[in-house]
Amino acid sequence: MDWGLLFDSYINVFSSFQVIFMTFLGALGGILLGAVPGMTATMGVALLIPFAFGMDLIPSIGLLLGIYCGGMYGGSISAILIHAPGTPSAAATLLDGYPMCQKGQAGKALSIAMFSSFCGGVLGALIMTFLSPLVAQMAMKFTSAEMLMLAFFGLSVIVSISGKSISKGLISAFFGLLLATVGQDPTYGAKRFVFGFRPLLSGFSFIPTLIGLFAIAEVIAGVERIITGEEKQQKSEEKITNVLPDFKTIKQIWLNIISGGLIGTFIGAIPGAGGDIAVFVSYGFNKSSSKHPELWGTGIPNGVAATESANNGCSGGAMIPLLSLGVPGDAVTAVLLGAFIMKGIQPGPMMYVNELPTVYRVFAALMLANLAMLAVGCAGVRFFAKIVSVEKKMLYPIILVVSLLGAFSINKNIFDVGVCVLFGVIGYLMNKFEFPLSPILLALILGPMCEQNFVRFVDVNNGNFWEILNRPIAVGFFVVSVATILYSIYNQRKINRREAENKRKAASM
Amino acid sequence: MKKTQTKAFASLVSSIVLLIFEVWAYIETTGFRVHKRAHVQPATFPQIMIIGMFIFTVILFVQSFLKVTRGMKEGDYENELAPSINPFKNKGVAAALFVIVLCILYTMLFNKLGYVLVSACISVITMWLIGKRDLKIIIPVSIIVPLVMWFIFYKMLTVNIPMGVLQPIRDLVDKI
Repeated sequence: MDWGLLFDSYINVFSSFQVIFMTFLGALGGILLGAVPGMTATMGVALLIPFAFGMDLIPSIGLLLGIYCGGMYGGSISAILIHAPGTPSAAATLLDGYPMCQKGQAGKALSIAMFSSFCGGVLGALIMTFLSPLVAQMAMKFTSAEMLMLAFFGLSVIVSISGKSISKGLISAFFGLLLATVGQDPTYGAKRFVFGFRPLLSGFSFIPTLIGLFAIAEVIAGVERIITGEEKQQKSEEKITNVLPDFKTIKQIWLNIISGGLIGTFIGAIPGAGGDIAVFVSYGFNKSSSKHPELWGTGIPNGVAATESANNGCSGGAMIPLLSLGVPGDAVTAVLLGAFIMKGIQPGPMMYVNELPTVYRVFAALMLANLAMLAVGCAGVRFFAKIVSVEKKMLYPIILVVSLLGAFSINKNIFDVGVCVLFGVIGYLMNKFEFPLSPILLALILGPMCEQNFVRFVDVNNGNFWEILNRPIAVGFFVVSVATILYSIYNQRKINRREAENKRKAASM
Repeated sequence: MKKTQTKAFASLVSSIVLLIFEVWAYIETTGFRVHKRAHVQPATFPQIMIIGMFIFTVILFVQSFLKVTRGMKEGDYENELAPSINPFKNKGVAAALFVIVLCILYTMLFNKLGYVLVSACISVITMWLIGKRDLKIIIPVSIIVPLVMWFIFYKMLTVNIPMGVLQPIRDLVDKI
């Protein structure tokens, strides 16, 4: 590790007004978005990518990382105050956060959530700084065989994000991989699924597709929910007085913060596993290792600290595979990968050779994003509660026009707006029939990597694909991928069985 | 609840639709250019993906078919009521369809009328549609949001967004 360059990068990032401003702006936006139930950090990052388009790389990455870190904390605000997690990563925060709110300790719970989020985020950023160069060094030895199997490993987590039906998740994934082949093929330039339509030659643009699948589909579904009366408006009238936890509380929760941060970073580093998984693992681990597990769930600060440090720890963890392998750790880093590519930088092991100053500046930007989240959180903790009262009838049309503008601004092309609307409709229908959307996102990103390395490997080996069995690292990735798939299938079946049992019990009561 | 109203039946129908799509997509790939010396043809990768999709669609078809014909246990999520897509029976679906039509019109009119005007229109109509009836709030919000967005993109990010009939606003901003 080049310590001098790392130090220079930190100085560079922390002394740039533009980077600081954009990161703080991102943190503010992320917290506000995260606090609104249903608005995730993924959606926030996707919405703001067009804004980042006209900026230099580091300010734009600072903006997006600010949203990422802010969104992770923001989700806890509504979880604590109104028992509705703003993001899936805040789902476990309400277990102790909401009872604390009911006891009249809403301010304390929010300040613990903010402080723990900050500590978890810093821990994740530090681990990322020291671990990702090692992973990248190892990845330098990768050839097309290893890269192909790495892409396969990235795709193997699709099973764990498939939801109730694994078949539907895998259909979505293959559909996403098929969509990634639209346009000219990367080797010979042959037209595929173009139908004589010139704009399709370069395939579907990633960002308009993403905005369509997530933001537009959510707006269409939200309109339906409002009309049918399923969408309920939330209101909060809590008054918050404490900004940071006192020393006594910190002494009580510091172990939970560290273990949560470590668990979050570790789980975040596994491609496909994100904050939503990490918070429950951290909560379960801290509860089972507590001297008083019976108090967990009754409104204790430890529960809030364990979950909030875990979800922000994920932000650093998820950056490890993104930067060192070019494989996104979660949905937000998948969008971040798009932002890097948009700026002409391909994350992966070669980034540590060709773009080392950029890598170090990204490390510094993540640290700054965590600091920005703490500062904005402290300044606005009293007011954030009000965001949960934003009327959805106003919010959805605003999201619609902002999203469509975002789709247009990438290539300044009306065709992209059409693509965005098309994928909005596809996303709406897929959501309705419970085909998960996240596998499409992962497939759209990993599809081209998969195809290019597959073609390269088969060509180099004169058409003999089975030569791959002589590459031990590639075989290792394949074995881990198969194990991941099998474990995910087993796990999902267990979850489905438990849910069915719970429903049967509830029906018989 | 009738079997045809369950999620299992909805999955069965969607798997049939997908199978038709996959057959069509596979036939389409047979028309891709062939390179004699290539080990991997341009059609190979899409075909592998279609075959993969086909295998899991068949699995979904068989699973759903068995559930619909043999019956389901209580608590099975596939035994729940399937979502409606009939706009004549469900007002929510009709509203969602209306928003989709608005989005298509938006795309068609974007260049002619300009971003601010079409966005203001779609915003007012959508807010009205979902029950926001206070014109004193709807109209200013619907105009100010696209205008501010246009200004940010045009002046701060130097992205040229079409203004259509409101071109004089851009001229005015340029002069200032």
